[in-house]
Amino acid sequence: MSISILETKNLTHIYSKGTTSQVDAIRDISLKIEKGELVGIIGHTGSGKSTLIQHFNGLLKGTSGTVLLDGRDIWEDKSKIRNVRFRVGICFQYPEYQLFEETVYKDIAFGPTNMRLDEKEIDRRVRNVIKFVGLDESYLEKSPFDLSGGEKRRVAIAGVMAMEPDVLILDEPCAGLDPRGRDTVLSLIRDYRSSTGSTVLVVSHSMEDISKIATRVLVMNESRLAYYDTVDGVFSHSEELKKMGLNIPVLTSLFLRLKEKGYNVRTDIYTAEKACDELLSLLKGGSVE
Amino acid sequence: MISDITIGQYYKGDSFVHKMDARIKIIITVLFIVMIFMCKNFLSLLLTAVILVAAIAVSKVPFRMFFKSLKPIVPIVLFTAVINIFYIGGGKELLSLGFITVTSKGVFTAVFMAIRIVLLIMSSSILTYTTVPTMLTDAIEKLLSPLKVFHIQVHTLAMMMTLALRFIPTLIDETERIMNAQKARGADFENGSIAERAKALVPVLIPLFVSAFRRAYELAFAMNCRCYTGGEDRTRMKQMKLKASDFAALSVFVAGTVGVVLINKFFGVVI
Amino acid sequence: MKNYIEFDGVCFAYEEDNEIPAAENVIENMSLKIEKGDFVAVLGHNGCGKSTLAKLCNAILVPQQGKVYIDGIDTADEERIYDIRQRVGMVFQNPDNQIVATVVEDDVAFGPENLGVEPAEIRKRVDEALRDVGMYDFRFFEPHKLSGGQKQRVAIAGIIAMKPDCIVLDEPTAMLDPRGRREVMDTVKRLNEEYGITVIFITHYMDEAVRANRVIVMDKGKILLDGAPKEVFVNTDTLKDIGLDIPEATELTHLLIGKGIDLPEDILDIDELYSHIIRLTEEKN
Repeated sequence: MSISILETKNLTHIYSKGTTSQVDAIRDISLKIEKGELVGIIGHTGSGKSTLIQHFNGLLKGTSGTVLLDGRDIWEDKSKIRNVRFRVGICFQYPEYQLFEETVYKDIAFGPTNMRLDEKEIDRRVRNVIKFVGLDESYLEKSPFDLSGGEKRRVAIAGVMAMEPDVLILDEPCAGLDPRGRDTVLSLIRDYRSSTGSTVLVVSHSMEDISKIATRVLVMNESRLAYYDTVDGVFSHSEELKKMGLNIPVLTSLFLRLKEKGYNVRTDIYTAEKACDELLSLLKGGSVE
Repeated sequence: MISDITIGQYYKGDSFVHKMDARIKIIITVLFIVMIFMCKNFLSLLLTAVILVAAIAVSKVPFRMFFKSLKPIVPIVLFTAVINIFYIGGGKELLSLGFITVTSKGVFTAVFMAIRIVLLIMSSSILTYTTVPTMLTDAIEKLLSPLKVFHIQVHTLAMMMTLALRFIPTLIDETERIMNAQKARGADFENGSIAERAKALVPVLIPLFVSAFRRAYELAFAMNCRCYTGGEDRTRMKQMKLKASDFAALSVFVAGTVGVVLINKFFGVVI
Repeated sequence: MKNYIEFDGVCFAYEEDNEIPAAENVIENMSLKIEKGDFVAVLGHNGCGKSTLAKLCNAILVPQQGKVYIDGIDTADEERIYDIRQRVGMVFQNPDNQIVATVVEDDVAFGPENLGVEPAEIRKRVDEALRDVGMYDFRFFEPHKLSGGQKQRVAIAGIIAMKPDCIVLDEPTAMLDPRGRREVMDTVKRLNEEYGITVIFITHYMDEAVRANRVIVMDKGKILLDGAPKEVFVNTDTLKDIGLDIPEATELTHLLIGKGIDLPEDILDIDELYSHIIRLTEEKN
């Protein structure tokens, strides 16, 4: 049996009537996230996915239900909630807008300093993480405000990674980046998981991105958990996803249509290379039923 | 939630008050405030209160909206009332505890002042509840336009007010977002001494300023692209026209003011 | 057809900026003609000069060398700067930072008011513009209560109320969710088709570029590729080299062609590829 690092039980967050709050409700969410997974979270705007992730580190508290981190209720001791935030790191949308220090070094050190780590450890983490996000140490003395958009984004992500959280959550980490910037950030996320063994949750609108990096997919729809399954498992529900206003990866849709037409093809296909191989076997050797 | 605060709290409606010219509404509000301060006895205060209640009834804005607008100032009302009770001497002595004496005049003044503040807030609330913020700033621009003689940029002033109203909700949202982001990195805004808490706000204020400046820059750019050159040669989609009914409303308040003066004269000054 | 926008040997460099070293040309000797009524997508990674190109189109920036003509007017002619800005409207990336008023309809009126249009005419234009972008029902809303896609449509309405000939959109969908992106693209497409408004649409999304009539790919201040979407996306290697995406269907088609499968190389969408595969399997049997 694998261990679930994060678990919710009947987690619900409903707002009292009359408030014009921008946070969307979530209803009766029960799920278990296993250690080391890379979970893609999808759902259209207003489906509750942003609200859900803010419960994982105690920025929001459910109106009912519980959130368990390593089997323990995160609200067990209210005064320790900050420790939960160090263990479950959230990097919000457009994180470059949270940069504030004079130097990149100080900004990345903000989280570790709040953790009251000693200076040597902070220094180790800052130098480690800046290399990890693909920037060299000369960046550490620069002002974060002088960097390019893509570099700022990476520094901001580094600031959360420097806390070395057990669970790293990124909300739309590629929003607004150009394709090159997006690819850099995606491979960064993948590397982070493989080198640290941490659990990573990524919220995204891009089914292509999710299908390429995730091991499991969580689908939110109208405040409820619609699916939490493997990538293939989720994308096999193409009709239901469409009804929720979500797309399925373009390549996958091609194979689903071929299958529907009666061709014997696999449908768990998310990259052009795999698609090419599958089509070759269909066109050259494969059989038609 | 801080995002619940609405600035320029317009209450949608179609009443006589909603349709009134915003300039007249501002003038009436100012006149009404003068009226409140002219009241020297309870009878004149009663008259102003009756006029206000009538105006609210005509505006069709529910009374609970006014109670809501009063809520934040309850402490101020209580504070001034307490001060008045203890510091105003004269009249009959009601209570004496050591060095504190409560007199009838003190109680009287306290109640009087409290009613004045409440009326004051409620009257300005009618103005903001029934007038779209843009109309309000337009009206201010028009009313202040004589100041152009003194080379005061009235239009610029009004535009600044409009933009402030437009961006306050955006910046409130942004503040909340940045606070959440810093909390996620372990920032603590709730605990510690006042100095510590003030220091904890630095990671919020700096990004907020940076963002506000960026927004201002982009907005200026966008306004330029939409051919904005300042107040000269601009037309307005919504024209302000004074109607006979506006003057009728104004005359009611002028009559009210005269009434207050007369009541003060014939029924004596108590305050 | 007549050229509406003309760039003639344009060079542009920012003077003093901490991000870009001075004296380095952001636009390098660019010549370009855009026809009236065309729908042009401009692609390129960040910093390739596409935003500068947009700003050169409505005289926010003026070239140091060469000329930009809009409807025959030289953008360097300061006297006619507002004639140009009325003709070429701009929509920017961040929807929040271009809405001026606290009520939707007042914002749409802002441009015509600046132009000194008669009040009754402004009213008419505002209502029409809001209907054209599908936001008429939201005319009394406060902008901050709208979704990103809705805000962008209000911004577009604010531009078309000025009766422009051309709209330049600088990454209007970069901050939007898929639904908002679709709303904006559909709106712009309709304005182009129904009213013949010339559109310059800057983006990094390939699926949006594919819907244009003409695609211009920029790199280092120069035009690298220029043509109909089918002509441009055939150059998969060039596009990949400068870090751009290619439509998934095109990428897959090219892989298959490399393996000896007989497919036309200009396939852009997955439906097209699907029917070719059906054809091939049927031929095989």
